[in-house]
Amino acid sequence: MRVQLMVTCLVDSFFPEIGEAVVEVLTEAGATVSIPRGQTCCGQPAMNTGYRSQARKMAARTLEIFGREPYPVVVPSGSCAAMLRHGYEELFADDATRLRQARDLASRSFELSEFLVERLRVIELGASTAATLAYQPSCHLLRGLGVDRQPSELLSALNGPPVGRLQPDCCGFGGAFSVDHAEISEAMLNRKLDEIDSAGVEAVVGCDVSCLMHLEGGLRRRGSAVRCAHLAQVLTSREPGLR
Amino acid sequence: MRQAFLDRAHRAMGDPALQRALDRNAEGRQQARREAWAGLYDVEDLRQHAHAIRQVTLDRLDSYLGLFTQRLRERGVQVHQAATSEEACQIVVDIAQRRGATRVAKSKSMLTEEIGLNAALEKVGIQAIETDLGEYIVQLRHESPSHILTPALHLSRQAVAETFLSELGLQVTPEVSDLTRAARKSLREVFLSAPIGVTGVNFGVAETGTLCLVTNEGNGRMVTSLPPVHIALMGIERLVPTLSDLRVMLQLLPRSGTGQKLSSYVSLLNGARREGDPEGPEERHLVLVDAGRMAVRSSGLSESLLCIRCGACLNACPVFREIGGHAYGSVYPGPIGSVISPGLWGGESYGHLAKASTLCGACVEACPVGIDLPTLLLRVRHQQTRIDPQPRWLGRSIRLFSWLATSEARFGLAQRIGALLSRLQPQSHGWLTALPEPLAAWSAARHFPPFAARPFRRRTRHLRLQGSGRSPEFDPRVETFPLPEASPISDKLERFAAELEAVGGEFIRCPEAEAADRVVGQLHLQGASRVLAWGQVEPILFTVLQRLEQDGFQVTQPHLPSRPYARPEALVKLDGAQAGVTGAQAGFADTGTLALSMGRRRSLLPSLLPAVHLAILRSSDIYESMQDWLDKVGAPLAASTQCMAFITGPSRTADIEMTLTVGVHGPAQLVVICLE
Repeated sequence: MRVQLMVTCLVDSFFPEIGEAVVEVLTEAGATVSIPRGQTCCGQPAMNTGYRSQARKMAARTLEIFGREPYPVVVPSGSCAAMLRHGYEELFADDATRLRQARDLASRSFELSEFLVERLRVIELGASTAATLAYQPSCHLLRGLGVDRQPSELLSALNGPPVGRLQPDCCGFGGAFSVDHAEISEAMLNRKLDEIDSAGVEAVVGCDVSCLMHLEGGLRRRGSAVRCAHLAQVLTSREPGLR
Repeated sequence: MRQAFLDRAHRAMGDPALQRALDRNAEGRQQARREAWAGLYDVEDLRQHAHAIRQVTLDRLDSYLGLFTQRLRERGVQVHQAATSEEACQIVVDIAQRRGATRVAKSKSMLTEEIGLNAALEKVGIQAIETDLGEYIVQLRHESPSHILTPALHLSRQAVAETFLSELGLQVTPEVSDLTRAARKSLREVFLSAPIGVTGVNFGVAETGTLCLVTNEGNGRMVTSLPPVHIALMGIERLVPTLSDLRVMLQLLPRSGTGQKLSSYVSLLNGARREGDPEGPEERHLVLVDAGRMAVRSSGLSESLLCIRCGACLNACPVFREIGGHAYGSVYPGPIGSVISPGLWGGESYGHLAKASTLCGACVEACPVGIDLPTLLLRVRHQQTRIDPQPRWLGRSIRLFSWLATSEARFGLAQRIGALLSRLQPQSHGWLTALPEPLAAWSAARHFPPFAARPFRRRTRHLRLQGSGRSPEFDPRVETFPLPEASPISDKLERFAAELEAVGGEFIRCPEAEAADRVVGQLHLQGASRVLAWGQVEPILFTVLQRLEQDGFQVTQPHLPSRPYARPEALVKLDGAQAGVTGAQAGFADTGTLALSMGRRRSLLPSLLPAVHLAILRSSDIYESMQDWLDKVGAPLAASTQCMAFITGPSRTADIEMTLTVGVHGPAQLVVICLE
C-alpha cells in the first residue's frame, strides 16, 4: 500500500529521528512511503488560537500538497490528524471548493497507530523493549479521533514488560495555553508528572509529540530519569527519550 | 478582564482548602457519572437521541414556544415574556408588589442568578430567601455559587459552621448532618409562611404545557406547592416537545450531574390550583426569558443552547479542577460557561474565558447531549481575535509563523535560524533550560527541546521508503460489543425493591390483609402519633385510615385554605405531624421511583412535610420504567394533574463537602409497603 507521510512541523523541526522511526515502521508494515515536498504545518496553532485567516492559508497549502496524489495520508500525531479530519471542515465551512477537498482529505487521513491497525492490519512488528512503559492516551487522539484500542494493541505485542496505562487526563499542554495560561498549565502538568512518578515506569509512550514534548520537558526539569517516547520509536526498538 | 481572571485563578490555585474541594468534586462526580452511564443500555445512542430532541426543538423554537404558551394559558398559568433580564426582574417585582409580598422563598435557579433577580427584589425592599442548602449557605455569605449544581462546592464544613454562627447566631458543630439539620430548621418557617415561591424550570414540555422541576432536597416541591403564588422563570430554550422526550432528558440529567438514576424529586406541574385540589398556588406564573438567547440561536454558538445545565462538563474539565468556578467571574463557569457567557454578554467581557482550555475534549465526552464544546470554544476564540486580541504577542507570533509556514524556503530558513539560536540558549543534557520572552513562561516549569541541526525533510534521502514487501495480512477480527449483563433479578417487583433500597428507601412486602397492621407497626416504630394522610380514595386506604383512627392516631387529610393569609397557620398545624401515609399511582422498577399525583383528597403534603413517608403501592402498579408507565397508562395523568411527584428515595443533599445527608427539607425516611 502506498501512503503519504505528513511528518508534522514539530517532528520535522525538533525530532527528526521520530520521523525516521515512523518511516521505518510504515515500511516494515508493508507500506511504501512518499514524503510530499513543500509540507510545513497543517495550521493547527493558528486554528487553536482563533486566527482563522492564518490557519486557512496553511490549511489550503496542506490541502494542495496532499491533494496531488490520492493516497492515504499518515500523521504521527493525534492532534494534527484531528485537525485534518475535523478542523478543516470547520475552517472551510463557507468555501465549497475547499470544503470538498477538505472532506476528501479527511476521509483518507489517519493517525499512525490507527493506520497500522485498521488499514495495514499489522499488530506484530517484532519490536522489543527492556524498559517498563506506560501509555499516555492523549486528548485529541482519544477523544478527537476515538483512537485508543489501536496503540494499546501495538504496545501489547511488544517483546518486553507489560505496558501500563496513565489516566486519560490532559497533561496541560494545549498549545499556546501552556504559555498564556502558564500557571494553570503547570498545575495540570504537575498532576500528570506526579502520576508518572507514582507509576514507577522508565518511560512514557504516546502518539502525540506535542504532549510528549511537554511531559519530557517537565520530567527533565524535575530531574526525573523518566523519558518519553513516540510510539514509532518504541515500535522500532529505539531507546526511550524524544531526542 | 483577562488579567482579573488570571488573578482569580492564581488565588484559587494557592488555596489548599479549595483545591481539596475541587479534587473531591472532580473525582467523585466523574466516577459517579461514569458508573451511572454504564448502567444505561446504550448511552451513545441515548445521547444522540437527546441531542436530536434538543436540536429539533431549537430549530422550531418559535412554534414550540407558541404551543407551550397556549397550553399553559389553557391551564390557567399566567405567561409573561421577557426580552431582557431587566424585564424579567420587573415582571417578578410587579407580581410581588401587587401581592404585597415582603419576601419570597426561592429554590435554586441559575436563570435567576443570571438575571440578578435577588438584587432586583432587594432594591424594592423584597427579601429573596434561597432554600437550596448550598445556595442558602452561599447567600448567607453574600457570595455567588461556584458551581451550577453544587453552589457551595468551594466551602468546607468548618466554613459553613462559621457562617451559621456569624450570620444566624447558630452554634452548630461542623458535622454535615448537624449543619443540614440546622438549615432545615431555620428554613422551615420560610416555607410555611412565604407568600410567593420562585423557581427555575428544568424543562418545559410543549405538547402538554407541563413545567418540570428536578430537585433532591424537597425545597423545590415546597415552594411550588405551599405558597399561594408560584413564579417560575425559564429560559426560552429549555423546552422539549413531549413527555416522552422529557423522559429521555430525565434519564440523562441526574446521571450526568450527580450520578443518580433519578433525582429524589421530579415534579411535573400543570397549571394553577383547581377546584378540589388540596394544595397548590392560586396563581402560577411563568416568565419566559430571552435575555440574549434568540441572538445566540442565530449565531455560531447556537449549539450551546442545547445545554441542560447538568454540570458534567465542569466536573470533567481539568481547568475547572485547578481554578474552581469563581475564577471564571461568570454565573456560568467551566467549559459551557466559557461559551454561554460570551454568547449572551459579549466577547469584550467574557471572550477571554474560551482560551482557558486545552481543548482536551473531556467536556464533550461528559456532555449528556453531546455539545461539541471544543468547536464552540474555537469559534469564540476566532471572534475574540477581532474583539480583544489578547495577548498581543500571540497574534503577532501566529502571523509570523503563518508567513514562515506558507513557504518551504522561509520555513527551512527559520528552522536553520532556530537551530542557531538554540545553541545560544542555556542547556542541560541537550535540552534548553530557558527561553526568551514571550516563551519564558514555558521554561519556568519545563525544559524545551532545541531545534534539530537538520530537520526531517533534509534527512530523507538515505531513508528506505519502499515497503518491506510483506503483504498486509488480513485480520478477520470482528469488533465485539459487550452486551449489558443480564440483570440477575428479573422480577420487576424485586428490581423495584433493590433500586429503592439502593437510594436509601425501605421496602416491605405484605398481603393486602396485613397492610393496616404494617402501617400501624411502622408508625409505632417511628413514634408517630400525628399523621398526614390521603383520603379514602381507594379501598385499602379506607381500611388503613379506619384502623389508624381506632388505634388513636391523630389523622389529618391536608387541604389548604384558599385565602392566602390563612395558609401559614394551616401549614404550621400540618407541620406538626410526624408521618405521612399515602398511596401511589405507580412504581418504576428501573429507578425505584414512586409516582404520586395530586388530586381530590390526594394531597402531596404527606409525602413532603413529615420526617417519615409511608407509601402503599400495589405490586400490580409496578412498571418497568417511567417510559413504560407513560406508554401504558401514565401519560394522560402526568399531563393533567396539577402536580405529579416522582419520588426516588428520601430527601437528600450533598451540598456540603459532597457528603450525602438525608432529610434536608423533605422526609428523611421513605417506606414503601407493597401489596401483593
